[in-house]
Amino acid sequence: MPRARFTWLSLYVALVAMALYNLLPFFWMVSSSLKTDLEVTSFPATLLPRTLTTDAYVRIWNQEGFPQYFVNSIKVSAATAILSVTAGLFAGYGFSRFRFRGKNALMLVFLASQMLPGVLLVGPYFKMLSLAGLYDTHVGLILAQTTITLPFSVWMLKGYMDTLPIEIDEAAVIDGASRAQCLLYCVLPSILPGVVATMIFAFLLAWGDLLWALCLINDPAKQTMTLGITNLVGQFRVLWSDVMAATVIGCAIPALFYLALQRYLVQGLAGSAVKG
Amino acid sequence: MIGERRTAYWFVAPASLLLFVVLGFPVVAAILGSLNFSWSGGASASLKAYARLWTDAEFIGALRNTAILVGGIVSLHLVLGMAVALLLNAEVRLRWLFRMLAILPWTMPDVIGGIIFRFIFDTLYGGLNAVALALGWIEQPIDWLGRPGLALLSLIMAETWRGYPYVMLILLAGLQAIPREQYEAAAIDGAGWWQAFRYVTIPGLTTMIIIAVVLDAVWQCRLFGMVFGMTGGGPGQATQNLSLFVYKQYFQFFDTTYASSAAVVLAAILLVAAMPYLRVTLREKE
Repeated sequence: MPRARFTWLSLYVALVAMALYNLLPFFWMVSSSLKTDLEVTSFPATLLPRTLTTDAYVRIWNQEGFPQYFVNSIKVSAATAILSVTAGLFAGYGFSRFRFRGKNALMLVFLASQMLPGVLLVGPYFKMLSLAGLYDTHVGLILAQTTITLPFSVWMLKGYMDTLPIEIDEAAVIDGASRAQCLLYCVLPSILPGVVATMIFAFLLAWGDLLWALCLINDPAKQTMTLGITNLVGQFRVLWSDVMAATVIGCAIPALFYLALQRYLVQGLAGSAVKG
Repeated sequence: MIGERRTAYWFVAPASLLLFVVLGFPVVAAILGSLNFSWSGGASASLKAYARLWTDAEFIGALRNTAILVGGIVSLHLVLGMAVALLLNAEVRLRWLFRMLAILPWTMPDVIGGIIFRFIFDTLYGGLNAVALALGWIEQPIDWLGRPGLALLSLIMAETWRGYPYVMLILLAGLQAIPREQYEAAAIDGAGWWQAFRYVTIPGLTTMIIIAVVLDAVWQCRLFGMVFGMTGGGPGQATQNLSLFVYKQYFQFFDTTYASSAAVVLAAILLVAAMPYLRVTLREKE
């Protein structure tokens, strides 16, 4: 058995090494955010704060506009998630339950649109918004985010629906239900976990975006979290303890959501990519 | 029971409409814009912007940086992702905890990752130099983000850390789909760990490896927030990739024709790169 024990031990050593590697930048972020502004600019840097202080958090939270960034991000991301899953639910049902002319071509368009680079789209979209008078509004930003999250929402939801037997729909239609009622009362409740997972993915994709907010939002009061934090670094003198406190706040929501969701991650990612 | 055709169109219409208006128009506008085409018929359409690209050292540099970044990051992602996927596929105690920890870097929005690594690689106040000095690996602090080659390398290291769980998750899903019997059969035939990996795992994982590499390459070609937050393309233009190049041409120099032509080139590269993925996915869906 010594050989088996050796294998067992090296497995854990490797897993712990992986955990340390993954945690180090987080450790640095949190540790720096708890330092005084004097210590954070001392050379050489200290790994652990000599004096613990939450001054940076207080300063950043009281800084003009910062809580507003947080609210803006929640607003934009939540609207994106709801819109893209609603539209995705109907389209996913159409793709899952019907055969129609142009279906394959349309599905290919949805899939291929995910491969387009954001920088190709954002310029002309910016012009479109300016013409429509929607530049520098959350509506314009939400519309863009929704469309970007829409293709994978459709594919993911279609995948969940494909796992349901079509007999459910048949029974409902025979009982006199319309197709829309079928979707809302028979299909939707059965795939609810999948719907929630898709919604959270869309939320987080919108939360992490920088490019679109950078190009479509000008008014500081309308900035999202990522944009606000980015501008914090662009300022004349970077106060790293404050910036790190801001990034802790910016990272917390996605980290918590993903960890709560991790059971769906493996299926969600790969499931929508290959399997039905 | 297959539903009526006309109903189907009602179901897919809202999503399709959004897609064609919000993405379709900009795509067409970008292509026409890159050709300097205008509806009023003022200037005549031409390929001048594309011709200019190939004589512009800054564009060639951005193309080269994109290739180096994508090549470096995707291969490191594949190695790390495969190793961690194999570890997490083993029967160990506390597997749920290790899996959570394994996903963590990927939960970080990429621009925030860029900002944190900008600080970690900072010459005077950064953690990396502090540790390297304390351990005696270096005698002078290194200016990681101030020297072209090192800045590119730092960027690769940062995005390797942030993005590898994505590849790992796809590979892990593939590993879990390989039937256990195949390993048992291999063990009965006297195969060791390496032989089982070489002759059972790799063949069973080929599709997933292709998907992971293609999707990751597409993501990395478009990398924006990480570069913007960490180096801003600098020093000079040493770490500027295509996304950043297009953004600057469009929103800082307002040269929309030129920016669009570079963006169209990037889109063409991406669609060609994505072909294997599109084919595999559509085939499996049938």
